[in-house]
Amino acid sequence: MGELKDQKTVSRRDILKLAGTAAAFCTSFGFLHGSQSGGVVQDKHIVQDKHLQARWQQAEFKWYKGNELLSSVPFPAKVLKHLQSDETAVIEIKLFRTGQMFKNLGTIEAKH
Amino acid sequence: MAGPHEILGMARVLGIGTTEFLSRYTDNGGTTLRSEEDGRCVFLRPSGCRVHPRRPLVCRLYPLGRSTNERGEERFAVFPAQPDCGAVVGRDGTVSSFLESQGVGPYLEWSRRYGELYRRMIGLLDRLDVVGRVDTAAADAPAEAGQAGSGAAGSGQEPGRAPLSSWQDIDASLAEYCTTKGIAVPAEIDEAIALHLRAMEEWLGDLEARLGPVGTGSNPSSQA
Repeated sequence: MGELKDQKTVSRRDILKLAGTAAAFCTSFGFLHGSQSGGVVQDKHIVQDKHLQARWQQAEFKWYKGNELLSSVPFPAKVLKHLQSDETAVIEIKLFRTGQMFKNLGTIEAKH
Repeated sequence: MAGPHEILGMARVLGIGTTEFLSRYTDNGGTTLRSEEDGRCVFLRPSGCRVHPRRPLVCRLYPLGRSTNERGEERFAVFPAQPDCGAVVGRDGTVSSFLESQGVGPYLEWSRRYGELYRRMIGLLDRLDVVGRVDTAAADAPAEAGQAGSGAAGSGQEPGRAPLSSWQDIDASLAEYCTTKGIAVPAEIDEAIALHLRAMEEWLGDLEARLGPVGTGSNPSSQA
Protein backbone atom coordinates (compact mmCIF):
# COMPACT_ATOMS: atom_id res chain seq x y z
CA MET A 1 0.00 0.00 0.00
CA GLY A 2 1.19 3.47 -0.76
CA GLU A 3 4.42 2.60 -2.56
CA LEU A 4 5.89 5.75 -4.03
CA LYS A 5 8.57 5.48 -6.65
CA ASP A 6 9.62 9.08 -6.84
CA GLN A 7 11.03 10.75 -3.78
CA LYS A 8 10.14 14.20 -5.09
CA THR A 9 6.64 13.79 -6.32
CA VAL A 10 3.32 12.34 -5.45
CA SER A 11 1.52 10.63 -8.26
CA ARG A 12 -1.93 11.38 -9.52
CA ARG A 13 -2.93 7.91 -8.38
CA ASP A 14 -1.72 8.66 -4.85
CA ILE A 15 -3.63 11.93 -4.76
CA LEU A 16 -6.81 10.34 -6.00
CA LYS A 17 -6.47 7.52 -3.51
CA LEU A 18 -5.92 10.08 -0.77
CA ALA A 19 -8.91 12.13 -1.86
CA GLY A 20 -11.07 9.03 -2.23
CA THR A 21 -10.13 7.78 1.21
CA ALA A 22 -10.72 11.17 2.79
CA ALA A 23 -14.12 11.39 1.10
CA ALA A 24 -15.00 7.87 2.21
CA PHE A 25 -14.01 8.60 5.80
CA CYS A 26 -15.92 11.86 5.70
CA THR A 27 -19.12 9.95 5.01
CA SER A 28 -18.35 6.74 6.87
CA PHE A 29 -17.52 8.47 10.12
CA GLY A 30 -19.28 11.78 9.70
CA PHE A 31 -15.94 13.58 9.88
CA LEU A 32 -17.49 16.75 8.61
CA HIS A 33 -15.19 19.06 10.43
CA GLY A 34 -12.29 16.69 11.02
CA SER A 35 -12.68 17.20 14.71
CA GLN A 36 -12.89 13.73 16.14
CA SER A 37 -9.81 13.91 18.31
CA GLY A 38 -9.79 14.27 22.03
CA GLY A 39 -12.96 14.84 23.89
CA VAL A 40 -14.04 13.43 27.18
CA VAL A 41 -17.39 11.84 27.70
CA GLN A 42 -19.47 14.24 29.67
CA ASP A 43 -21.06 12.57 32.62
CA LYS A 44 -24.15 14.67 32.51
CA HIS A 45 -27.74 13.71 32.37
CA ILE A 46 -29.18 13.01 28.97
CA VAL A 47 -30.93 16.13 27.84
CA GLN A 48 -32.57 17.21 24.64
CA ASP A 49 -30.12 19.13 22.52
CA LYS A 50 -31.77 21.17 19.80
CA HIS A 51 -28.48 22.12 18.28
CA LEU A 52 -26.91 18.83 17.34
CA GLN A 53 -24.20 19.67 14.85
CA ALA A 54 -24.85 17.31 12.00
CA ARG A 55 -24.97 17.96 8.29
CA TRP A 56 -27.84 16.67 6.30
CA GLN A 57 -29.18 17.06 2.82
CA GLN A 58 -32.77 16.01 2.98
CA ALA A 59 -35.60 16.22 5.47
CA GLU A 60 -38.91 14.41 5.35
CA PHE A 61 -42.21 14.25 7.11
CA LYS A 62 -43.25 10.67 7.69
CA TRP A 63 -46.57 9.28 8.79
CA TYR A 64 -46.82 5.85 10.33
CA LYS A 65 -49.63 3.51 11.20
CA GLY A 66 -47.94 1.32 13.72
CA ASN A 67 -44.93 0.02 11.85
CA GLU A 68 -46.42 0.75 8.46
CA LEU A 69 -45.17 3.81 6.64
CA LEU A 70 -48.26 5.51 5.27
CA SER A 71 -46.68 8.48 3.57
CA SER A 72 -43.46 10.38 3.30
CA VAL A 73 -43.14 13.93 2.05
CA PRO A 74 -39.91 15.90 1.68
CA PHE A 75 -39.61 19.32 3.29
CA PRO A 76 -40.40 22.15 0.87
CA ALA A 77 -37.31 23.59 -0.77
CA LYS A 78 -37.87 26.96 0.91
CA VAL A 79 -37.91 25.37 4.35
CA LEU A 80 -34.93 23.17 3.53
CA LYS A 81 -32.89 26.17 2.45
CA HIS A 82 -33.85 28.02 5.59
CA LEU A 83 -32.83 25.15 7.85
CA GLN A 84 -29.61 24.48 5.98
CA SER A 85 -28.56 28.06 6.54
CA ASP A 86 -28.34 27.18 10.22
CA GLU A 87 -31.53 28.97 11.12
CA THR A 88 -34.13 27.84 13.58
CA ALA A 89 -37.49 26.78 12.23
CA VAL A 90 -40.77 26.15 13.98
CA ILE A 91 -43.12 23.41 12.91
CA GLU A 92 -46.68 23.44 14.16
CA ILE A 93 -49.14 20.64 13.65
CA LYS A 94 -52.65 22.04 13.73
CA LEU A 95 -56.01 20.52 12.97
CA PHE A 96 -58.68 22.66 11.34
CA ARG A 97 -62.41 22.31 10.91
CA THR A 98 -64.42 24.56 8.66
CA GLY A 99 -61.52 26.90 8.38
CA GLN A 100 -60.97 27.26 12.09
CA MET A 101 -58.32 25.62 14.16
CA PHE A 102 -59.71 23.46 16.88
CA LYS A 103 -56.57 21.68 18.02
CA ASN A 104 -52.82 22.24 18.07
CA LEU A 105 -51.11 18.89 18.26
CA GLY A 106 -47.77 20.38 19.09
CA THR A 107 -44.96 22.70 18.19
CA ILE A 108 -41.42 21.68 17.35
CA GLU A 109 -38.71 24.26 17.38
CA ALA A 110 -35.50 23.01 15.88
CA LYS A 111 -32.26 24.06 14.39
CA HIS A 112 -30.47 21.60 12.14
CA MET B 1 -22.63 5.38 8.13
CA ALA B 2 -20.18 2.55 8.55
CA GLY B 3 -16.42 2.74 8.92
CA PRO B 4 -14.07 0.05 7.63
CA HIS B 5 -13.68 -1.48 11.10
CA GLU B 6 -17.45 -1.65 11.50
CA ILE B 7 -17.83 -3.25 8.09
CA LEU B 8 -15.27 -5.86 9.12
CA GLY B 9 -17.20 -6.66 12.29
CA MET B 10 -20.54 -6.96 10.52
CA ALA B 11 -19.02 -9.08 7.76
CA ARG B 12 -17.65 -11.50 10.34
CA VAL B 13 -21.07 -11.83 11.98
CA LEU B 14 -22.50 -12.77 8.59
CA GLY B 15 -19.60 -15.09 7.86
CA ILE B 16 -18.48 -13.27 4.73
CA GLY B 17 -15.52 -11.15 3.69
CA THR B 18 -15.48 -7.37 3.63
CA THR B 19 -15.25 -7.32 -0.16
CA GLU B 20 -18.51 -9.20 -0.45
CA PHE B 21 -20.07 -7.17 2.35
CA LEU B 22 -19.25 -3.88 0.64
CA SER B 23 -20.72 -5.13 -2.61
CA ARG B 24 -23.92 -6.56 -1.14
CA TYR B 25 -24.78 -4.32 1.76
CA THR B 26 -23.42 -0.82 1.20
CA ASP B 27 -24.18 2.21 -0.93
CA ASN B 28 -22.58 5.57 -1.60
CA GLY B 29 -19.17 4.19 -2.38
CA GLY B 30 -19.19 1.73 0.47
CA THR B 31 -19.77 4.39 3.10
CA THR B 32 -23.36 3.75 4.14
CA LEU B 33 -25.40 0.66 4.83
CA ARG B 34 -28.01 -0.14 2.25
CA SER B 35 -31.63 0.63 3.03
CA GLU B 36 -34.82 -1.05 1.98
CA GLU B 37 -37.34 0.92 -0.08
CA ASP B 38 -39.23 1.98 3.02
CA GLY B 39 -36.04 3.29 4.59
CA ARG B 40 -35.39 0.38 6.92
CA CYS B 41 -31.83 -0.76 7.38
CA VAL B 42 -31.04 -3.79 5.24
CA PHE B 43 -30.18 -5.72 8.39
CA LEU B 44 -33.37 -5.00 10.28
CA ARG B 45 -35.63 -8.03 10.54
CA PRO B 46 -38.80 -8.60 12.57
CA SER B 47 -36.66 -10.56 14.98
CA GLY B 48 -34.16 -7.72 15.26
CA CYS B 49 -30.82 -6.70 13.85
CA ARG B 50 -28.92 -9.37 11.93
CA VAL B 51 -25.57 -7.91 12.90
CA HIS B 52 -26.40 -6.80 16.42
CA PRO B 53 -23.26 -8.20 18.11
CA ARG B 54 -21.12 -6.02 15.85
CA ARG B 55 -23.55 -3.20 15.09
CA PRO B 56 -21.92 0.12 14.20
CA LEU B 57 -21.30 2.92 16.65
CA VAL B 58 -24.20 5.00 15.36
CA CYS B 59 -26.56 2.12 16.17
CA ARG B 60 -25.03 1.60 19.59
CA LEU B 61 -25.44 5.27 20.39
CA TYR B 62 -29.09 5.52 19.37
CA PRO B 63 -31.12 7.37 20.59
CA LEU B 64 -28.08 9.48 21.29
CA GLY B 65 -26.23 11.32 18.57
CA ARG B 66 -22.62 12.38 18.96
CA SER B 67 -20.75 15.30 17.53
CA THR B 68 -17.40 16.91 18.12
CA ASN B 69 -16.39 20.46 17.42
CA GLU B 70 -13.15 21.73 15.96
CA ARG B 71 -11.53 21.57 19.39
CA GLY B 72 -12.41 17.92 19.78
CA GLU B 73 -15.05 18.63 22.41
CA GLU B 74 -17.66 15.94 22.38
CA ARG B 75 -21.39 16.50 22.64
CA PHE B 76 -24.30 14.15 22.82
CA ALA B 77 -27.90 14.79 21.98
CA VAL B 78 -31.11 12.81 21.92
CA PHE B 79 -32.69 12.03 18.59
CA PRO B 80 -36.48 12.10 18.35
CA ALA B 81 -37.87 8.62 18.84
CA GLN B 82 -38.70 6.72 15.68
CA PRO B 83 -42.32 5.55 15.63
CA ASP B 84 -41.38 1.97 14.78
CA CYS B 85 -38.51 1.70 17.21
CA GLY B 86 -39.20 -0.84 19.91
CA ALA B 87 -36.43 0.33 22.19
CA VAL B 88 -37.33 1.51 25.66
CA VAL B 89 -35.62 4.80 26.38
CA GLY B 90 -35.33 6.17 29.87
CA ARG B 91 -34.20 9.58 30.95
CA ASP B 92 -32.85 8.85 34.38
CA GLY B 93 -29.39 7.70 33.34
CA THR B 94 -26.25 9.52 32.40
CA VAL B 95 -24.52 9.70 29.05
CA SER B 96 -21.51 7.78 30.31
CA SER B 97 -23.57 5.04 31.91
CA PHE B 98 -25.51 4.64 28.69
CA LEU B 99 -22.34 4.48 26.62
CA GLU B 100 -20.91 1.86 28.94
CA SER B 101 -24.05 -0.23 28.71
CA GLN B 102 -23.78 -0.24 24.92
CA GLY B 103 -20.12 -1.20 24.80
CA VAL B 104 -19.14 1.83 22.76
CA GLY B 105 -15.70 2.29 24.32
CA PRO B 106 -13.67 0.50 21.62
CA TYR B 107 -15.79 2.04 18.88
CA LEU B 108 -15.16 5.56 20.16
CA GLU B 109 -11.44 4.83 20.35
CA TRP B 110 -11.38 3.45 16.81
CA SER B 111 -13.39 6.42 15.61
CA ARG B 112 -10.88 8.73 17.30
CA ARG B 113 -7.93 6.96 15.68
CA TYR B 114 -9.48 6.90 12.22
CA GLY B 115 -10.30 10.56 12.82
CA GLU B 116 -6.62 11.28 13.38
CA LEU B 117 -5.86 9.61 10.07
CA TYR B 118 -8.58 11.66 8.41
CA ARG B 119 -7.05 14.89 9.66
CA ARG B 120 -3.69 13.81 8.29
CA MET B 121 -5.34 13.14 4.93
CA ILE B 122 -6.94 16.57 4.91
CA GLY B 123 -3.61 18.08 5.87
CA LEU B 124 -1.89 16.28 3.00
CA LEU B 125 -4.55 17.33 0.52
CA ASP B 126 -4.16 20.88 1.71
CA ARG B 127 -0.40 20.71 1.24
CA LEU B 128 -0.80 19.14 -2.18
CA ASP B 129 -2.56 22.22 -3.40
CA VAL B 130 0.78 23.34 -4.82
CA VAL B 131 1.51 23.66 -8.52
CA GLY B 132 4.17 21.26 -9.71
CA ARG B 133 3.89 18.62 -7.04
CA VAL B 134 1.87 16.23 -9.14
CA ASP B 135 3.83 13.65 -11.09
CA THR B 136 2.14 14.01 -14.46
CA ALA B 137 4.17 11.12 -15.84
CA ALA B 138 2.04 8.84 -13.72
CA ALA B 139 -1.16 10.36 -15.00
CA ASP B 140 -1.89 7.33 -17.11
CA ALA B 141 -1.82 5.05 -14.11
CA PRO B 142 -5.24 3.86 -13.03
CA ALA B 143 -6.67 6.25 -10.53
CA GLU B 144 -8.16 4.60 -7.50
CA ALA B 145 -10.98 7.04 -7.09
CA GLY B 146 -11.96 6.52 -10.68
CA GLN B 147 -11.76 2.77 -10.72
CA ALA B 148 -15.22 1.44 -10.19
CA GLY B 149 -14.90 -1.95 -8.67
CA SER B 150 -11.22 -2.30 -9.33
CA GLY B 151 -8.30 -3.24 -7.15
CA ALA B 152 -8.88 -4.44 -3.67
CA ALA B 153 -12.59 -3.98 -3.85
CA GLY B 154 -13.00 -6.57 -6.55
CA SER B 155 -14.59 -6.09 -9.92
CA GLY B 156 -17.97 -6.22 -11.52
CA GLN B 157 -19.70 -3.98 -9.04
CA GLU B 158 -22.42 -1.60 -10.05
CA PRO B 159 -21.37 2.00 -10.55
CA GLY B 160 -21.56 3.92 -7.29
CA ARG B 161 -21.40 0.76 -5.27
CA ALA B 162 -17.70 0.28 -5.56
CA PRO B 163 -15.84 1.57 -2.50
CA LEU B 164 -14.45 5.07 -2.79
CA SER B 165 -11.20 3.77 -1.40
CA SER B 166 -9.59 0.34 -1.20
CA TRP B 167 -8.82 1.12 2.46
CA GLN B 168 -12.49 0.59 3.22
CA ASP B 169 -12.05 -3.07 2.35
CA ILE B 170 -10.05 -4.30 5.32
CA ASP B 171 -9.77 -7.92 4.18
CA ALA B 172 -8.39 -6.95 0.79
CA SER B 173 -6.14 -4.15 2.00
CA LEU B 174 -4.72 -6.29 4.82
CA ALA B 175 -4.15 -9.20 2.45
CA GLU B 176 -2.08 -6.88 0.27
CA TYR B 177 -0.28 -5.29 3.22
CA CYS B 178 0.53 -8.60 4.89
CA THR B 179 1.82 -10.06 1.65
CA THR B 180 4.11 -7.08 1.24
CA LYS B 181 5.32 -7.36 4.83
CA GLY B 182 5.52 -11.13 4.85
CA ILE B 183 3.28 -11.47 7.87
CA ALA B 184 0.13 -13.41 8.56
CA VAL B 185 -3.26 -11.76 8.23
CA PRO B 186 -4.77 -11.46 11.71
CA ALA B 187 -7.73 -13.70 12.36
CA GLU B 188 -9.15 -11.67 15.21
CA ILE B 189 -11.24 -8.61 14.42
CA ASP B 190 -9.55 -6.31 16.91
CA GLU B 191 -6.09 -7.33 15.70
CA ALA B 192 -7.14 -6.78 12.09
CA ILE B 193 -8.41 -3.30 12.91
CA ALA B 194 -5.20 -2.45 14.74
CA LEU B 195 -3.13 -3.62 11.77
CA HIS B 196 -5.37 -1.74 9.36
CA LEU B 197 -4.77 1.44 11.33
CA ARG B 198 -1.04 0.75 11.32
CA ALA B 199 -1.01 0.12 7.58
CA MET B 200 -2.85 3.36 6.96
CA GLU B 201 -0.49 5.25 9.26
CA GLU B 202 2.46 3.91 7.29
CA TRP B 203 0.80 4.86 4.00
CA LEU B 204 0.19 8.41 5.19
CA GLY B 205 3.66 8.54 6.70
CA ASP B 206 5.09 7.69 3.29
CA LEU B 207 3.10 10.43 1.64
CA GLU B 208 4.03 12.95 4.32
CA ALA B 209 7.69 12.03 3.95
CA ARG B 210 7.48 12.61 0.20
CA LEU B 211 6.10 16.06 0.73
CA GLY B 212 8.78 16.95 3.24
CA PRO B 213 8.41 18.84 6.50
CA VAL B 214 5.35 20.90 7.08
CA GLY B 215 6.19 24.39 5.96
CA THR B 216 4.95 27.67 7.14
CA GLY B 217 1.73 27.20 5.24
CA SER B 218 -1.60 26.37 6.65
CA ASN B 219 -1.96 24.07 9.60
CA PRO B 220 -3.55 20.84 8.40
CA SER B 221 -5.46 20.35 11.60
CA SER B 222 -7.07 23.74 11.24
CA GLN B 223 -8.25 22.86 7.78
CA ALA B 224 -10.01 19.68 8.66
